[in-house]
Amino acid sequence: MANLAAYIIRRLVLLVFVVLGVTALIFAVTMMFDPQVRAYLYVRNIQRMDEEGIEGVVMKYGLRDPFYMQYGRWLGEVLQGNLGWSQSTSMPVADAIRTKWPYTFQIVLFAAPIIIFVGIFLGVQSAIHRNDPIDHASRVLSIIGWSLPSFWVGMLLLTVFYNVLNWFPPGPLSRDMFVAVSSPNFMRYTHVDIFDGLLNLRPDVTIDAIRHLILPVVTIVTIDVALLIRVMRSSMLETLNKPYITTAKAKGLSKKVVIYKHARRNALIPVATLSGMLVAGLLGGLMITETVFGYPGLGSWAASAAIGLDMPAVLGYAVLSALVFVVANLIVDILYAYIDPRIRLE
Amino acid sequence: MSLKNRWQEFKVGLTPRIKEWRFMLKRMRGSSLAMAGLIIILGYVAMAILAPVIAPPQSSDPFAIPLDKEIRVLQNEQPTPPTFRHIFGTTQYQFDLFYGCIWGSITAFRIGVFVVAISLLVGLLVGTASAYYGGILDETLMRFTDIIIAFPGLILAMALVLAWQQPTLEISISLSLVMISVMVSFVLIFVHPDRRLLAMNQLVLLLGLASSFFFPISISIPLNNLDKVLVAITIVGWPGYARVIRGEVLRIKNEDYVEASRASGSSDIRTIMHHILPNSIYPLLIVATLDIGSIVLSAAALSFIGIGAPEYYADWGQLISRSRFLISDPTLMVRNIHTFLIPGLFISTFVVGWNLLGDALRDVLDPMLRRR
Amino acid sequence: MSQRNIAEVKDLEVRFYTYSGVVEALDGVNLAIKEGEILGLVGETGCGKSVTSLSVMMLVPPPGKIEGGKILFDKQGKKEDILTMDDNSLRGLRGKNIAMIFQEPRAYLNPVYTVEDQIAEVILVHRRMELLKKAVDTLEKKHKGKTFECGNYRRMLKNPKSLITRLIAKFGSNRTFNNEAKKEVVQVLKSVEIPDPERVAQMYPHELSGGMAQRTLIAMALSCNPTLLIADEPTTNLDVTVQAQILNLIRGLKQSFKSSILYITHDLGVVAQLCDRVAVMYAGNIIETADVFELFNSPLHPYARALLESIPRPGKPFTSIPGFVPSLVNPPKGCRFNDRCSYAMEVCRRVKPVFLKAKEEHYVACFLYGGSE
Repeated sequence: MANLAAYIIRRLVLLVFVVLGVTALIFAVTMMFDPQVRAYLYVRNIQRMDEEGIEGVVMKYGLRDPFYMQYGRWLGEVLQGNLGWSQSTSMPVADAIRTKWPYTFQIVLFAAPIIIFVGIFLGVQSAIHRNDPIDHASRVLSIIGWSLPSFWVGMLLLTVFYNVLNWFPPGPLSRDMFVAVSSPNFMRYTHVDIFDGLLNLRPDVTIDAIRHLILPVVTIVTIDVALLIRVMRSSMLETLNKPYITTAKAKGLSKKVVIYKHARRNALIPVATLSGMLVAGLLGGLMITETVFGYPGLGSWAASAAIGLDMPAVLGYAVLSALVFVVANLIVDILYAYIDPRIRLE
Repeated sequence: MSLKNRWQEFKVGLTPRIKEWRFMLKRMRGSSLAMAGLIIILGYVAMAILAPVIAPPQSSDPFAIPLDKEIRVLQNEQPTPPTFRHIFGTTQYQFDLFYGCIWGSITAFRIGVFVVAISLLVGLLVGTASAYYGGILDETLMRFTDIIIAFPGLILAMALVLAWQQPTLEISISLSLVMISVMVSFVLIFVHPDRRLLAMNQLVLLLGLASSFFFPISISIPLNNLDKVLVAITIVGWPGYARVIRGEVLRIKNEDYVEASRASGSSDIRTIMHHILPNSIYPLLIVATLDIGSIVLSAAALSFIGIGAPEYYADWGQLISRSRFLISDPTLMVRNIHTFLIPGLFISTFVVGWNLLGDALRDVLDPMLRRR
Repeated sequence: MSQRNIAEVKDLEVRFYTYSGVVEALDGVNLAIKEGEILGLVGETGCGKSVTSLSVMMLVPPPGKIEGGKILFDKQGKKEDILTMDDNSLRGLRGKNIAMIFQEPRAYLNPVYTVEDQIAEVILVHRRMELLKKAVDTLEKKHKGKTFECGNYRRMLKNPKSLITRLIAKFGSNRTFNNEAKKEVVQVLKSVEIPDPERVAQMYPHELSGGMAQRTLIAMALSCNPTLLIADEPTTNLDVTVQAQILNLIRGLKQSFKSSILYITHDLGVVAQLCDRVAVMYAGNIIETADVFELFNSPLHPYARALLESIPRPGKPFTSIPGFVPSLVNPPKGCRFNDRCSYAMEVCRRVKPVFLKAKEEHYVACFLYGGSE
């Protein structure tokens, strides 16, 4: 176990390094804009500014200073928790993240486990019944699922299930429920609608929230489960050819034990990596899906911020998603080392 | 050696490669999924080639979707459903969907092929060098790719589109020579790394580099937003390829025949080109085939948000972007379903085709599952 | 050594359906293993030794198929044909009556489970009742005979198949039971002379040396006292010194566990040291079977003769057998050795020789010794 601790520490050091690198790169991207353009970010009331006023802002905030100085300044601010002011939402970036994160979290909370467990199950079944109808069907379906544009699926689902059937509406909550959660009687313990509904003894809020979640979750699951099925299947097929599976059979173990105890655990190793990256991608992404369903999470915020040239918001979002990505990487690596004892020596 | 003997030697060296390819094709023909994928792709190729015939362009820029000015006068905002004049109907602002979808296939190929080709080349170079030489070079390059992979590509795309004004692509003759020689050497790896051919190829490369000093002739091509997006996708895309090839090269580097090759005095380049790359390149091809689909999807998503192809441009994602107004008022969706259903079907089938092909390739080229 | 056969392979045919064609891997293999003996199976790489051994356990991987013959196994006095057994019976057989060890021991152990896990697994499957009884005994000795746990074990002993007992087995406390299994594991590790068995039991396969891993595999195979142990080139990948240790171990184990051993190898030296009888295989056929001294002194089949001739000896020039092993996709008609045989006759090219008794306990498949009528 000492090996595991040393391994984790090594990975943590790398994490810091990569995060610094990513933030520097993101900052470099913003430097592509002229100083005058960037100056607008610091101005609350654009109308009152003219050429000289803008120049004053440029000087005041040191927007012509060398890269490392501006980066250092910005990094210092970030480390103190100040991510700037988001013009598109008229609140500090940090606040925007705080208020919008629960919505993205809700989607991922449902989508991620479904994707992972369905993916593993179908992948294993596919591998066991190789070239049977089950296998072909699941492969074709998963290829098709992976090929669909997420916004297209979202719009189609909305058409059928909202426009035609009116079962699952877009948006996070229906109007009545929204009023309910905004009222002062409603205590925000977790800021997550699903949980707060139960904690406030208002299960109808929870049910309503779930109802609004179904379409976005279905959209994401349809597309992402394909990848997991494919990786699980090929990993499982490869593992089933390994010598120790022959040994397991030679010991007289039942087929179920051979597949689920011996083969699957080894086959899960690459799948674990993929799942981690998937969850990271979901937490940091979902731009398109949230936009289509009008879900006020981090993704739609980032999308509108980018179009509205809300630089601090874009920067804040980029830093957040990079952080999530890197941390997820770390967790996956640790998980990997836990599952596969051989890795701990590296 | 006489020319005839050289040719004989070349053919002999070619035989095992041809046998491999024949075997691969036979396996592919057996898989109905692979055939389906291939047929779909060929269908789109045909569509792309015949585009000027099926949907004649109505302005100097063939990628500008024609507007129906008559209807526009009457009802600009409302898309019209399919009629005789507009086979697939029109989008908001009266762009003809049929034209857009047909010419969109050319755009899709352009998106997929260019991005993948360049990402692949860059990734190949970086990944192979990193894996082969190892040490500090490997560590730094890998940290660098780690950083790029952690970087949200969408942001870069947005930034490039917004900040990069009036980009143009300057193609110089000399640069073309360089690139042509690089691609030729790529082909040679597969076919037959003949020393003399490689030497000739290197000569062309030097010629290109030299002429860049003496004859800097170039052609300027203006780039639009879509191209900026493609550049962004390429920048964040190549590390994926680098990682894949690096994994393969690391695996093969320790094989006995590589050691034998180096022990018998082959230069690094020769060992890489002749022994390592032909055995390690297959997973990269699989990733490339699958990536074409992914990239078309990413570009479509960006166009959908509004970053990407300009409003009038024949691009499938852009066409669907015209239906974004439906999101604010979903009750109109059924009536206008053709505005996003049809372009979406084009995108989906295109990507399905490439994914089927890539999946089949993966099955065929998997050394463990072959020959059973 | 009694004359009773514990296993007989009769006219075994195995084919592999590959993309390059149908490989006639085994073309009528005949073997008989007597109780308590070590039978060596020798042959060049690719002649079908491993396929034969896998067939005995019905573990031939696709695209291989067993297409003919019988494999008779003596199970408590009754001879049953393994090839006609159903899945349940086969599973009861594997690991318990017949066990197998393999060539590359660390590859054949599951890398994510400890040694203890993997050996206990086999004991728990095949010796469950015995361990339950031991657990009950242990608890009674500690005056815990009336506890819930002990009651569970007694219930499991009485009706092992009822739903309730199975649920309890899964979710109830099984500490004593598992401890018994662990004790057995340490016991069996000791019997293969692994030092510090408690510590080794907690190790993972990649932490073991080649010799230790092979001992572990042997321990796992012998843990349920099989009648037949099949050893597929277990020492080929080991250092010579380790090889000698393992061979000694195997010889010793034959005494203590009273198993018969089918020892597959391509090393005639090992055969000479270890085996009681030898079967020589060539291109999918058994061409000669005899007592080991008999074979080395007077080999009958031309291939066996050439094989023994080619053993390097100081002062003697190197000899080898001219020609190549035939491709089994399109095997030669008649005797498969005929194109390399210096005694080949017309009939050898046309008809396949039958496996006949040439001398007492000495069988050969060659027209030189009869059968051409």
